[in-house]
Amino acid sequence: MSDVDASPSVTVGDASADAAPRAPFAMISGDPAAMVCEGDVCFIPAADSSPTRAR
Amino acid sequence: MTSPIKIDIWSDIACPWCYIGKRHLEAGIAALGDEAPDVEIEYHSFELSPDTPLDFEGSTVEYLADRKGMPLERVEQMLEHVTGVAAKAGLDYHFEKVAHTKTLKAHELLHFAKARGMQLELKERLLKAYFVEGGRVNRIDELIGYAEEVGLDGDAAREALESGRYAADVQADIAQAGAYGINGVPFFVIDGKYGISGAQPAEVFSQAIAQVAGEQGAAA
Repeated sequence: MSDVDASPSVTVGDASADAAPRAPFAMISGDPAAMVCEGDVCFIPAADSSPTRAR
Repeated sequence: MTSPIKIDIWSDIACPWCYIGKRHLEAGIAALGDEAPDVEIEYHSFELSPDTPLDFEGSTVEYLADRKGMPLERVEQMLEHVTGVAAKAGLDYHFEKVAHTKTLKAHELLHFAKARGMQLELKERLLKAYFVEGGRVNRIDELIGYAEEVGLDGDAAREALESGRYAADVQADIAQAGAYGINGVPFFVIDGKYGISGAQPAEVFSQAIAQVAGEQGAAA
């Protein structure tokens, strides 16, 4: 996990990175260390291959 | 005159980063100050863990250690970290109180509230109940109490929950997330144009909203 103290920039990227290619929006990458929750785990999508869980 | 910027958010109640992300979004909007455009926020249902027991009686530490096969000490460290990040966002998490449960009924109530223009108030109330107060957000009697606290009609809310009137709407939200390829929450869609995944810092939301507002202005 990571705190969110960085100063991220807004970059519009390819929607396929985090959502289905057919999604009608482009992804903003923001801070790659921002946490998301999936199922039982919460993790940093871009950096963490060993999810930590905090539901 | 431009129309409000729509912000669609897929989120679960039992999601610590969803509550933190909510605060970051609110801070991002507030940071725009007088320049802030009108926004319209709509929450959509997402069930993170459908196999969660309806009423788990143990602690969060026990639940996670058991489910993930992790040492208790590591779970405790994780929860301390999340609690610290939440505190920075102004949230007073108490994982020792959290009552793990399914959240489908809570999502049904959010749809009931949305139909009456009270979704944002109820969303805040349910998140607080879950992470701060240890509320049982699957129990209809408790849900009715939260509904009434935010000004909804308790009898109508009870009828909606007991009849399952909004169950299909909850599933439709979940299906829409699947169609978009949304696997994790919180997930924000700004004005139907830009997707933002995770509890991003407030600046990310500020910049995205300002960008959309600028695009609207240019198109007007």
